[in-house]
Amino acid sequence: MQASLDALAEPRRREILALIRDRELAAGEIAANFEVTRSAISQHVGVLKLAGLVTERREGTKRLYRARPEGLADLRAFIDEFWSERLDDLVREAEREERSSKHDHASDN
Amino acid sequence: MTTRATTEPIVHERQIEATPETVFAFFTDPTKLTRWLAVDATLDPRPGGICHQTHDGRNGVEYLMRGEFVEVEFPSRVVFTWGFENDDIDLRPGETTVEVTLEPRDGGTWLTLVHRDLPQSERGDHDSGWATMLDRLAAALP
Repeated sequence: MQASLDALAEPRRREILALIRDRELAAGEIAANFEVTRSAISQHVGVLKLAGLVTERREGTKRLYRARPEGLADLRAFIDEFWSERLDDLVREAEREERSSKHDHASDN
Repeated sequence: MTTRATTEPIVHERQIEATPETVFAFFTDPTKLTRWLAVDATLDPRPGGICHQTHDGRNGVEYLMRGEFVEVEFPSRVVFTWGFENDDIDLRPGETTVEVTLEPRDGGTWLTLVHRDLPQSERGDHDSGWATMLDRLAAALP
């Protein structure tokens, strides 16, 4: 999950995934959709591949790419992770609040 | 209106070194809720009252959680519905429910959060499942 999140932290990588969501494209065809160098696009695709979000298939000299949705955890796992992270923040903030209110009471005396 | 198959509830528990009263306010006071859960909130903490939260996605996209309080029992229990106004998130307002219970324990609070009625992932519904997941992931990124 963390590898997926890291891979998707870059907006351009999300755009690439959207592009190859329903069709297989060669690296050059992906790059043609962006105003950055082909090697930059190759790097992004490489990160997506490592995270398991993209599959690569060779056809002759071409490498074809397609998004791999099953590389992502399902909705339930995602929301599970969301609450886990948010609740860690809640614990920190509520404990901070408790300490500061105790401190305020102590200084009242 | 079709009823979707749902998964087992998601359950999280935490021990917090703060009183239930202190923790409770983090669910009902907008200035406190925005310290951990959302970037903006409008809350009317009584049954039927609105529970609106804005979650910050990347690229300036705001995800609008449009819930309603169902139960509000200070300082032990708060229940609200959970769904999004955004068309690109496949969880409609009112569709799922979050239940929070706070019990005094060891001088602090034992928190239990249960998120119910989550739909099963759209296996076989490739397009909507995939788009939804990307948007969700984007929304959750710091």
